[in-house]
Amino acid sequence: MNLSRLWTIARLELTQRVRTVSWYVLLGIFALLLVGVTALSFLSYAPVEERGAGVYSTVVYITLLLAVLVSPTLSGNSINGDRDAATLAPVQVTLASTGDILFGKFLAAWITGLAFAAVAAPFLIIATLAGGVSAWMVIISVAILVVQIGLISAIGVAISGILPRPLFSVAATYLVVAALTVGTPIAFGLVGASITSEVTQTSRYVERCADNSDDCWGEDGSQVGEWVCSDWETYTWQQPRFDRVWWMLAPNPFVILADATPVAFDRHGGTVDLFGAVKHGVRSAQLAPELESTWDECARDYRYSNAPSAEEVIAQTVPSWFVGLGLQVLLAAGLLWWAWARTRTPARTLPTGTRIA
Amino acid sequence: MTTAGIVADGVRRSFGDVHAVRDVTLEARAGAVTGLVGPNGSGKTTLLLMLSSLLAPDAGSIRIGGVDPVADPAAARAMLGWMPDALGAWSSLTARETIAVTGRLYGLDRERSAQRAAELLGTVGLADLADQPARVLSRGQKQRLGLARALVHDPGVLLLDEPASGLDPQARIDLRVLLRRLAAEGRTILISSHILSELEEVVDDAVFLVAGATVSSERIAAAATRQRTWRVRLADRDATAAVLPIAQTLGLDAALIPVDRRDVLLAFASDATAAAGLQALVGAGLPVAEFSAAQGLLEHTFLDLEGGDR
Repeated sequence: MNLSRLWTIARLELTQRVRTVSWYVLLGIFALLLVGVTALSFLSYAPVEERGAGVYSTVVYITLLLAVLVSPTLSGNSINGDRDAATLAPVQVTLASTGDILFGKFLAAWITGLAFAAVAAPFLIIATLAGGVSAWMVIISVAILVVQIGLISAIGVAISGILPRPLFSVAATYLVVAALTVGTPIAFGLVGASITSEVTQTSRYVERCADNSDDCWGEDGSQVGEWVCSDWETYTWQQPRFDRVWWMLAPNPFVILADATPVAFDRHGGTVDLFGAVKHGVRSAQLAPELESTWDECARDYRYSNAPSAEEVIAQTVPSWFVGLGLQVLLAAGLLWWAWARTRTPARTLPTGTRIA
Repeated sequence: MTTAGIVADGVRRSFGDVHAVRDVTLEARAGAVTGLVGPNGSGKTTLLLMLSSLLAPDAGSIRIGGVDPVADPAAARAMLGWMPDALGAWSSLTARETIAVTGRLYGLDRERSAQRAAELLGTVGLADLADQPARVLSRGQKQRLGLARALVHDPGVLLLDEPASGLDPQARIDLRVLLRRLAAEGRTILISSHILSELEEVVDDAVFLVAGATVSSERIAAAATRQRTWRVRLADRDATAAVLPIAQTLGLDAALIPVDRRDVLLAFASDATAAAGLQALVGAGLPVAEFSAAQGLLEHTFLDLEGGDR
């Protein structure tokens, strides 16, 4: 690969893009959308003391959402679209290698996707000024956003090199992106709900005091008599085992973003922003249900156990974002390799129904 | 100097069941323009794609300036200028940028690319449109842009697929002059075209491609020596009146001599008999204003090969 040629190809792509008006219209609409989102999230996070984190996480999520929605159209026809327009072969016949072409187009698609992040930047700065946003939160969430946009661009460019028809490759890129974003929670929900375990709860309750009064508490609050307990009762039910399928959520871009970003908690250990809420939800799924539980109101050390706080859940569960990101990197790399094999010249086999030029 | 710029030996390529190129053996000399002639679907474009290093042959060998484009495509590409039949231009780039970007992709630095773009825009007559986006160019102008793009890295071997299509008469003449100049500089030029009369005026050699195979030189020689038709026009009378004196002079049956518009058509077995015929007509005092082969040699050979194939 040759960096100068790679960059020439990326610049060629970008030059063509910046000269189309529709591109600016799209960015303008996105800016307007962000004005609305930022204003509304300031209102909705009003009860929170430092609402910056809440607004910040919402804007980052909307940016990721838009990048995920738009990237397939920006990258999903970059190679086969050029072949259709007869502009691919004149590049292939130059000294630019197949790798230069693939990575040049990937770089261009990535930079194009990052334009959305650039439009979101002022809104992120406004959110940061509202307080509660740590430097690490900004650095890591932006890094993940940048990498995630890159991965989707890479998948789009690769699929456009694998499938011969632009329409199908854009659709296929959308399907892959949908599988990651929507498909993972669907699989998680369906599979998790279909794997069940029987939970047995044995319980007995306090019925009355031995002296037949309603309770055994004396007037000064001390215990004055023996409690009479009910018989032990056993309940069983089927409990979905989401703890066995939680990893299915790992490759989800939105989960990766939340899972990787360090989040803040309020004084009760609760979450204060969207990243925290998603992270808490995903991490909670790792906790195995108690299959045998005993509920004994008559026990001496009996007390109502509190559900663990978000902070506790997150502290006792494992992060999975690097696994999810790793899987996406493998997917993108595999698809790029396949695209390279399909686009290589001198071509030995051609995708059916295509002409090289 | 007769070093071969392009050598193909037993080249074969099929797409599934379609045998686009079955057996091509050809040699194109450096310093000469070689025409690639064949009917539609005879495999010309597939052959040019293989020569241009975009397509690998199933069998056979190709050498571009001594380099195998399958084994070392980069070295072959540095020597090759290729102009495709379906010409795609980056629609939002200007003509100047199109050539400069291509130069950059061929490894020229920024200044050299810009300089080559300026030179070539002048060479192909697009200087006035240099800073117009390619989408406003006409087909013929795009064709010239494609030629300029193929020349940007000063290649020693040129592969041109239908370069004259869409060009106006003046542009065709310019193209012919340019091709002759490029060949005179020692380049190897292989050019395919349907317009045989055009090709005739520019090529030194011709390669005939019929049904995916090159036609042997013996068959071409045989076709070329077969009977050809000549047009004859007399200065002082129209064609119908000219038939009788011509028939009498040459000892032919006047009823069997066809007439086409202003001309009388005569069949001669060879150039020598045609020359003898002309001598007889002039000797008989007939005012011969025109005496020319009705078809170019290429066209004659081409039609004969086509007919012979059926």
